[in-house]
Amino acid sequence: MAPTDQQAPVARRIHWPELLITWAVLTAVSVAGSLLLFPHVMPRAASSTMHLIILTVVVFSVTAAPVGSLVYATLFYGLRHWKHSSGDEPPPDGPPMRGNTPVIIVWIGISCVIGTFLLIWGLAAMAADSADAAHPALTVDVTGQQWLWTFHYPGTDVTTSQLVLPEGKTVTFDVTSLDVVHGFWIVQMGVKVDANPGQVTTVSVTPDKAGTFTVVCSELCGLNHAFMRAPVRVLPDNQFKSWLASQE
Amino acid sequence: MTTTTAPAAPATAGGHQPGGLMRRQNFVTGVVGGVAVAALACVLTHLLAGDSGSYFSDRVGTMTFIGWDLGFLLGIGAVNGPINWLRGRDMTEEDQLYLAGKDQGRRRYWKFCTDHKVVGVQYFIMAMIVLFAGGVLAMLIRTELMRPGQHFVDQQTYNTFIGMHGILMIVGLIIAIAGPFGNFILPIMIGARDMAFPRLNALSFWLVVAAAVPLLSVFAIGGISDGWSTYAPLAVQDHIGMDAFAVGVMTFVASTTIAGVNIVTTFITMRTKGMKLVRVPIFTWGVTISSALGLFAMPFFAVALTLLLSDRTMGTSFYLSFGGGSGWLWENLFWLMGHPEVYVILLPGAAAVLEIATVFARKPLFGYQVVVGGMVAIALLSVVVWAHHMFTTGWAPALNGPFMLTTEIISIPTGVLILALLGTVWQGNIWMRLPMFWVFGMAWDFIIGGITGIYLSDVPVDQQMHGTMFVVAHFHYVLVGSVLFAAMGAVAYWFPKVTGRMLDERMGKVAFWVIFVSFQVTFIAMFISGLAGMPRRVANYAHTLEVSNFASTIGAYVLMAGMLLELYVIVVSWRRGKPAGRNPWHAKSLEWQVPTPVPLFNFDVLPVVTSDPYGYGEPPPPAAEPEPGPQVPVEEPELVPAGAGTPEGEDR
Repeated sequence: MAPTDQQAPVARRIHWPELLITWAVLTAVSVAGSLLLFPHVMPRAASSTMHLIILTVVVFSVTAAPVGSLVYATLFYGLRHWKHSSGDEPPPDGPPMRGNTPVIIVWIGISCVIGTFLLIWGLAAMAADSADAAHPALTVDVTGQQWLWTFHYPGTDVTTSQLVLPEGKTVTFDVTSLDVVHGFWIVQMGVKVDANPGQVTTVSVTPDKAGTFTVVCSELCGLNHAFMRAPVRVLPDNQFKSWLASQE
Repeated sequence: MTTTTAPAAPATAGGHQPGGLMRRQNFVTGVVGGVAVAALACVLTHLLAGDSGSYFSDRVGTMTFIGWDLGFLLGIGAVNGPINWLRGRDMTEEDQLYLAGKDQGRRRYWKFCTDHKVVGVQYFIMAMIVLFAGGVLAMLIRTELMRPGQHFVDQQTYNTFIGMHGILMIVGLIIAIAGPFGNFILPIMIGARDMAFPRLNALSFWLVVAAAVPLLSVFAIGGISDGWSTYAPLAVQDHIGMDAFAVGVMTFVASTTIAGVNIVTTFITMRTKGMKLVRVPIFTWGVTISSALGLFAMPFFAVALTLLLSDRTMGTSFYLSFGGGSGWLWENLFWLMGHPEVYVILLPGAAAVLEIATVFARKPLFGYQVVVGGMVAIALLSVVVWAHHMFTTGWAPALNGPFMLTTEIISIPTGVLILALLGTVWQGNIWMRLPMFWVFGMAWDFIIGGITGIYLSDVPVDQQMHGTMFVVAHFHYVLVGSVLFAAMGAVAYWFPKVTGRMLDERMGKVAFWVIFVSFQVTFIAMFISGLAGMPRRVANYAHTLEVSNFASTIGAYVLMAGMLLELYVIVVSWRRGKPAGRNPWHAKSLEWQVPTPVPLFNFDVLPVVTSDPYGYGEPPPPAAEPEPGPQVPVEEPELVPAGAGTPEGEDR
């Protein structure tokens, strides 16, 4: 048994400034880190959707930073001040705290507030994203099969193995598959939807940067899944029109 | 069962020896039986239903592996009881004692043994074997991903690696804590002499062994080209390896279901006098809630695989669009299993960490009722979040908002568990022994795993992150960084009770630091690969991802070295560790009050419990006569319906 025969243990004083400063420093470091890291590491955005995604990741990180830092600050503080021994005999018992209702209520309350904020942010981002999709300027039929992509421009005879899109116009993709489930993902544009056999799924995007990007298959589809890629070229609108005409 | 029998008549009456046929049955007869029935099933199916003239067909394969399962269980003696009942007989008390492994030494670990402590040790060894196999596959995967381009294995082999790595690690993690400690420790913790259904307990373990054979034979018969999520229709067109995979997983589902029924029933009915639901150790709550959740979740996997095998062998089209089916059916069924299953894995780990934290902070658990409520809330919510795995499948875009809501709500009870951990160590006197290292490590990883999960719950962000290495890194932080760390903490904590020896602290701490640091390197680099746009389950990637992948691979090699060191520490300590005594941690829960090694029926006299085991720093509870402590023995033994028989009149 633990040596409980002495007087009841007394809680040690908390050195609040140290705890708060640790928390503040960790928070500042993680906020700065997420502001620098995500825009730098994630692909350079080539659509309004992708800008929104990167912004969301940064906002969520900034929101999460004080929460995670609070936990880490407490654990670090504990390791500094409450660590007792690692000998064969246990330290004396700590103070018999079985709970603290105000703390629990505040903790759950703050969780709810943060959760609500994240939810509203997410719903607003979804709404902003789908507002564009209502009036597409162009529709492209996308067909996946093991292990290649085919793009067809409805109303024309044009069928290609590279995706060409006009800059600044909203495009809707009608995506399907001939065999198994594939994932249609334009890495730099933040759009992704599965290509299902026998179903047409839809996703929209407004490219806002001319350049060359990549379609990658994001759903394991068998042997050559890793090589199921296609180039995406985004051209200014007039160049796109002349490209489309030249293909017919 | 009553205990009115006079000392049993000598068992030789009628030439019947205790155990009967069981005396000659063990793992070897199980394997012989399995191979024999598998061969029989193989030949018969080929004769009666062979559809391609070749033995290498889906029907023959499926029936062969089902035959293996049945033959193995017959051979090892798992169905002796039911067969005896059909013949109008039941086991005598001596038979039951033989079945519980009485006086059989180490041999009983190779037998169908009903003693929950034997089953716990069997699970412990099995979990280590399975996790080791999964770890080797992880090394092979990381070797292929060390550089861009194909340079190590071909695509088919690589796809087999990722699928088998996934399923073996899932199996290993489901049994990693609830298997060894849910069986060995949980009944003692609640003051029971065995599980509620000892024979089902043994059956649940040997079903895991049975499942391992079809799963591992996948490698020998051509592999699988799916991940462990085996999305249809790809899984329908896959080779015969998929049949082995399906039968293996279904066998494992049978095991978890049986184990779940057993643990839940044990928790509800076998608690000793005074062990109220507000007094049971928090670990037993975690394991029980996890088991109950598993009872809901795991059968979906078996159902989904039954339909898959039907598509593959009988020409149905549940998942085939040209016959009116849909791959979305598979995806729904799979994730109805798949998401609760994450919490099936997580809850025992979280509960073990809280249990350890109270002992090593020398403080009561912070917010006991809130923790239990939080775990129940997690379990309930986890059954309504599954479609967040399907945001980008196109199945039901209108439901993306609601599933984002449920997913974000589940972070609130999860946060409560974190608060409980912080509250428990707050102002404590932290005893920095090995188990506490893993607790701190787990807390570190769980925060990262949890926060990155919040990004993924957001529909627009998931549109970018779904199916990338970011997801892979996220769930490794949860499943390895949190659960496996918790499991290794649990091993360090309960090792003295299970083996009678201490886990080597010095080497154990070295292993901890190697694993902790290399784990961060491996998976933070993997987060970066994912953020930069690397899809998961690819054997090749763009040159821009070279640095982060190389870092991941080096980290993974060091991680494996750390794991091997941990394994070495376990093996060496088991053989030559410092003897531990009854209660090396000076803990208050019941498992530490019984002698080590734990006697066959755990308690001479069932204790009467007057408080929960967290009274650190509090005055001893009332009526503590013989020694200060919460548990006081009473004079008269309580009769308990322990299926392995009562200890009356037996030397223990």
